Amino acid sequence: MGNNVFKDTWLITKRNIMTTLRNPFSFIPNLVISAFFLLVYEGGLSGISELPTFEGANYLAFILPVSIVSAAIGGAGGAGQGIVKDIENGFFSRLLLTPASRLAIVLGPIIAGMLQLFVQTLLILGIAYLLGLESATGFGGILFVILIAIGWGLAFAGYSAGVALRTKNAQAAQAGTFIFFPLIFLSTTFVPYELIEAQWLKVAATINPTTYIFESMRTVLIDGWHFWDLMQGVFAILIACSITITFAAVSAKKAVSRG
Amino acid sequence: MNGTIKVKHLAKTFKKGDVKAVKDVSFEVNEGEFFAFLGPNGAGKSTVVQMLTTLINPTGGEAFVAGYDVSKNPGEVRRHIGVALQETGVDPDLTGREMIELQALIFGYQKEEAKQRSDKLLDIVQLQESSSRRIGNYSGGMRRRLDLALTLVHEPKILFLDEPTTGLDPSNRIAIWKELQRLNKENGTTIFLTTQYLEEADSLADRISIINKGLIVASGTPQELKAQIGNDLITLTFAKQEDLMKAKNALETELEMADIIIQNDRLNLYVNEGNKQLLQVVRVVDQYGLEIETTNLSSPTLDDIFLKITNEPETEGSGNDGE
Repeated sequence: MGNNVFKDTWLITKRNIMTTLRNPFSFIPNLVISAFFLLVYEGGLSGISELPTFEGANYLAFILPVSIVSAAIGGAGGAGQGIVKDIENGFFSRLLLTPASRLAIVLGPIIAGMLQLFVQTLLILGIAYLLGLESATGFGGILFVILIAIGWGLAFAGYSAGVALRTKNAQAAQAGTFIFFPLIFLSTTFVPYELIEAQWLKVAATINPTTYIFESMRTVLIDGWHFWDLMQGVFAILIACSITITFAAVSAKKAVSRG
Repeated sequence: MNGTIKVKHLAKTFKKGDVKAVKDVSFEVNEGEFFAFLGPNGAGKSTVVQMLTTLINPTGGEAFVAGYDVSKNPGEVRRHIGVALQETGVDPDLTGREMIELQALIFGYQKEEAKQRSDKLLDIVQLQESSSRRIGNYSGGMRRRLDLALTLVHEPKILFLDEPTTGLDPSNRIAIWKELQRLNKENGTTIFLTTQYLEEADSLADRISIINKGLIVASGTPQELKAQIGNDLITLTFAKQEDLMKAKNALETELEMADIIIQNDRLNLYVNEGNKQLLQVVRVVDQYGLEIETTNLSSPTLDDIFLKITNEPETEGSGNDGE
């Protein structure tokens, strides 16, 4: 008789949430940095929105996705860090010695990471509202932004968990999160695509899936429900998730295998 | 389900480096038996434990734990065993009580049952007062006792303990010994213990197997093993270190003694009728002009057996197996 996957996943997720809450410094810096991005970019760069290409759009709505995606990636990275910590302190082996579902052992930290980024996204949105955010699509648009953030976070959680399970090493898992920088900054981070001057950066922004995440969030916040513009973010998430979750699953299989 | 362990020609070769950690190991442990598994570092002890506890798959042979095949039915094996590995497997951010309750819930207990089980186990391992403190603040001994409590959550028929007292101070070590003896005698729990403290195996185990270089090299009760190498141990030390080898050669030639081992600055001779042999030994050494510093006649301990069988001095307090 096997264990119940859902029950085991819930137990392990709950435990991961508890340990995250008991280590506030595992998420507070990331949250503060994301809020800092929002304040500084809004304060320092909002004049850019006077340029004709912006067509009078609110720069806060333009820069908000950067802050949200940065919080999402940081939060999801916690999944990998949690797994490495469990491997290092023997808790991972302890779980493997129980009849707990192997799937639940890997899913628990990923789901906990997702919930962490969900809360972080809400907090960032709250700060944005206090700064005067207005959404062209109202509450529905905000929900869409949250879903995109969660989807992108899931893709990154898969990557982060995969690196952790493959390397079983805190430093390697930490180093893996440095992909964060090119993902965030080699994109339409501060200005629209048309205003990027360097050709190499235009190429990088075209390849970088984060560009499509930013654009779909910006569309819903600034322009409205433009279906195809929104779908490019959804497709980017689907493709990224299919790659990173497969990577995590293969790594997990190896980590819990008895070879 | 039963409390037995049956191992037949078990082998494990790690692909990485083509290392044959366990070559051919066979043994049986009866229900309710206290079995000690000894061996020097790198002998294959931990690899055997990992195979029997389903953490790794054997590459040869077969093993049945609690009546279930470890390769074909690992889930059932896990359900019926308790395991304490060399490193404690605890989450430093949970409290002792939370850790036990989580383990109980994973093993299928209901919330209220898990609380009751946690209370009982915290009493047994004397951690009731610290149960609400985070494990990160526990001492090494407290973590070990908590780890033992975790292995007992689901009342397993078989306990696997991989060097459970390594690094503990004497009082904590004795506390763990007492609890293991109680579990074995009162509950009839089968115990499979690996240890680097041979006096631990001597005083606790009904039967012992010694593994070296991936093979079982000796098995029996502590008394049987001691009898294998003679009833007495003569120990000689010399004024000059270089005389050790000369004396060994002389005694092997003159008295046809086979069981002589140099251990650090001592020469150990395993003999029967030590009183009579001691006189002859002294006479031969004297004839060769070697200056004896001290002589001692005693009964061999399990350490002496271990040393002789594995033919290398064990290093007390040394680290984990390099397996």
